[in-house]
Amino acid sequence: MSLSKAKLSRRKFLTLSGAALATATAASSLSSLKAVASSGTQSESTNSKGRKFVYSSCAICVNKCGLVAEVNNGVIRKLNPNPNFFKSRAMLCARGNAGAKVPYDPDRLKKPLIRVGERGEGKFKEVSWEEAYNYIAENVLKVIKKYENRSAIGFASTEGFQEEFFIHLANIVGSTNTVRHPTLCLASNIQGYSSVYGTFPDADILNADFVVMAGSNRAEAIITPDTIDMAKNHKKQTLVCIDPRATKTSAIADKWYPIKPGTDLALVLTMINIIISENLYDKEFVEKYTHGFPELAEHVKQYTAEWAEKECEIPASEIYWLAREFAKNAPQSVWYPGRRSSFYVNDVYYRRACAILNAIVGAFDRKGGLVPKRGIKLKKHDFEFPLYDFTKKRIDSGTLPFLNEKLPEEFKTSAGLPTDSCAYISEKDGSWVIYRDAALAGNPYPLKGLFVYKQNPVESVPNRKKTLEFLKQMDFICTIDVTMSDTAFYSDVILPESTYLERWDPAESLGGIVPIVVTRQPVIDPLFDTKSMHQITVDLAKKFYDMPEFWEDSTEDDREYLKKYIKAMDVPMEHLIEESLSGYPGAFKMLMEKGVFYLNDKPVYGKLLEDGARLKTRTGKIELYNVKYAERGLDPLPVYRKPSQGKPGQFRFVVGRHGQFTHASTQNNIYLLEAYGDYENALWINSKVALERGLRAGDKVKVISKAGEQIVKVMPTEFIRPDIVFYVHGFGRLSKGLSLVYNKGASEAAILYDYAETISGNACLHETFVDVQKV
Amino acid sequence: MSKKKYAIVLDDSKCIDCKACTMACKMENHVPTGLYNYRIWVAEKPIRGQFPNVKRSFQPSQCQQCENPPCVHVCPTRASYQTEDGVVLVDHDKCILCKYCMTACPYDARYVNEEIKAIDKCTFCYHRLPEGRQPACVETCPPKVRVFGDLNDPNSEVSKLLVEHETFNLKPEKGTKPKLYYIR
Repeated sequence: MSLSKAKLSRRKFLTLSGAALATATAASSLSSLKAVASSGTQSESTNSKGRKFVYSSCAICVNKCGLVAEVNNGVIRKLNPNPNFFKSRAMLCARGNAGAKVPYDPDRLKKPLIRVGERGEGKFKEVSWEEAYNYIAENVLKVIKKYENRSAIGFASTEGFQEEFFIHLANIVGSTNTVRHPTLCLASNIQGYSSVYGTFPDADILNADFVVMAGSNRAEAIITPDTIDMAKNHKKQTLVCIDPRATKTSAIADKWYPIKPGTDLALVLTMINIIISENLYDKEFVEKYTHGFPELAEHVKQYTAEWAEKECEIPASEIYWLAREFAKNAPQSVWYPGRRSSFYVNDVYYRRACAILNAIVGAFDRKGGLVPKRGIKLKKHDFEFPLYDFTKKRIDSGTLPFLNEKLPEEFKTSAGLPTDSCAYISEKDGSWVIYRDAALAGNPYPLKGLFVYKQNPVESVPNRKKTLEFLKQMDFICTIDVTMSDTAFYSDVILPESTYLERWDPAESLGGIVPIVVTRQPVIDPLFDTKSMHQITVDLAKKFYDMPEFWEDSTEDDREYLKKYIKAMDVPMEHLIEESLSGYPGAFKMLMEKGVFYLNDKPVYGKLLEDGARLKTRTGKIELYNVKYAERGLDPLPVYRKPSQGKPGQFRFVVGRHGQFTHASTQNNIYLLEAYGDYENALWINSKVALERGLRAGDKVKVISKAGEQIVKVMPTEFIRPDIVFYVHGFGRLSKGLSLVYNKGASEAAILYDYAETISGNACLHETFVDVQKV
Repeated sequence: MSKKKYAIVLDDSKCIDCKACTMACKMENHVPTGLYNYRIWVAEKPIRGQFPNVKRSFQPSQCQQCENPPCVHVCPTRASYQTEDGVVLVDHDKCILCKYCMTACPYDARYVNEEIKAIDKCTFCYHRLPEGRQPACVETCPPKVRVFGDLNDPNSEVSKLLVEHETFNLKPEKGTKPKLYYIR
């Protein structure tokens, strides 16, 4: 019997309480109402007697899986998977299931709050919405006037169906400084793939025969349908896992290569060399659809398997095998465009190389390869927001004198990376780490007000100390969230949002190999005095409309335009959903009755390979050699440079996901915390290394980087390389409003250093080196 | 109508330890919080090898719904019983928390539910079956590691899987005849 962990737990339990014979008591029935009552919360919903099933979609992570909520007398009994929802393959993961408890979380924000103590002291008073709105409007105006700049107010958010209204709010206030999550995530990935294909494609895992997951840990970083297809197919599909840790993905992989961190690009360039020099590439495809093949072929000659073996610490024979098998199975071959394998300063070049690898074997826009996402076009609510004289261009764009500091020493002089400005920053997303540095430097101008929606920069942006300084220098901070995140904890005013199970959300088209449209309808009535981001934006728009001082740097026409906006948006969300779906008769009905709307449930391949089709690149072709990069002085072909190295005795700190946690947002859910298996995180360290250093499981160590230090317990393991350490994200929190994880375990943001990848502006999450000391 | 014989066939090679099953079960059956409170679980099998030649694998498990259930045999109050269709259940009202059943169970499949002051464990979501619904763990499992059905129906998916695949039971030497079958 191999249930070692479970067994241990039971035994422990028996020894603790096995001796006492309990007296007979009448066991109460297991009604859901009782379960809710015992958790200290109670539904105020009285208008829905009896049992009902409601279609909606999950919001615990980015996937938006279809769910059917079972509701008893206005109380959620269970969230079940929606069998019609093919994107999530009719499943709901642990997080989706645990979402049933989110509205009843005792740590929820229940009323608007205004800070009364010092910032970070955690003292707030409950106020009415009107008081909160007045406070916000006054402070926004104060900042705009003082700095004569509307862009002095920043807006930070992460993806979600209501995020568009938050962006509307930024437009109404008149700021250009929206900063979103991509540069903490996949901006370099999108930039790299797009620089080759003009688009960021999906992987057709369902039909692929050969899949390489490099760093991407789809068993734990769940993405639908990829994770499910990969797990279901693993017996008939070859899965190669390349990762310095043996993640749960390695459990279903055919091969696992514990690559030396930072050398992934060497491996991919070598594979390209092998495939070209052994004539294994798709000549017809390369000839017809690509640009710059001769230059590529010449460039990669330097990257031999024997050389790569030393760089990557993967045997040359294995590299040959990998390259040959990848080409042999093409076009049903995928180098999975996931995250994490290479969060380094050269990440865009690495992603470019991955895209090129797939291109030369013809595995693009074909069944089983990389396939461009398609979408279902919805009617958009487009507005021309007011124009103000006091609006300035983004704080993180243009030439920034401090940018050189965002690169490790050995990369400052390296060719191919810009050192004065970010080459391709997104106008809407910005770059988190550069944005924060610009604000701290007050260069090019001060950033003194901040709105935060659904994001928690204190725990999600590397170098927490800097984020706290960034918040400290603000005149005004407003956070809109469901719980008291660390960022909310440091805010001046907090607006409580209704949870995803208590509100309508707009219809959204989810792009993919098979696109669908989803929405959310309330499963229960809001339990507390909360509102949706949609309502908050409309309410604040009205407030600003009524303030004459708000319009001093604008025209009466602009003010009138805002009135039109308010009129169009101040309607029930159902109307907006129906409007956006108005191009498709019956779509709204299908959405309500099946929980999903689609035009076709079968994939379409080859649209971009049709005669006359052009890719969104300069040449209209797949750019193995990027023309625009060459013009800007960037390397047009991916060039390998050795990753930076720590001092002797130091470890590289790597980041990674866990199947129970969505970044830093679900650790305070008791069910998910317990499913993780502990109430705090632990440092993964190679068993042999731990032994050498006299570290045993449970010992406490101090993890020290130049950004900060954290104390955490040790978990020696065979699942990690000797030169790296790792712990799960989202612990060691500063907010006392997160009662389960406050001060428990170690924070990742506190020790990660904040280098930036200067082509896309992405944070380099893998460029941190740490010392580990026993305490 | 012939009697049913419910069973679950598992292909644990597909398991990625996402714990969706554990969580769906906790929600569906109001299993209280607590690190050791669960009706079903996913265990990591003992590690094979040393870095870098190391292999991970997982085994989801739960009450084995034995045909010959020791828990039922030892229960002094007949709180643990077997239904006509072979599902082992606990009558919470009759349970006196003597924990004999916990000691007798070779699979450690039972826990003390402090909220209802009774022993609790997997019921195959017996309350869902009359509505034609699957057990919550089966319904929610992302890679569909678990398949539930009636062994007495030769056309059921479980019956077909048992014909098509070589399977094994946990601890066959205990003679409990589990109705959880793992594909080899």
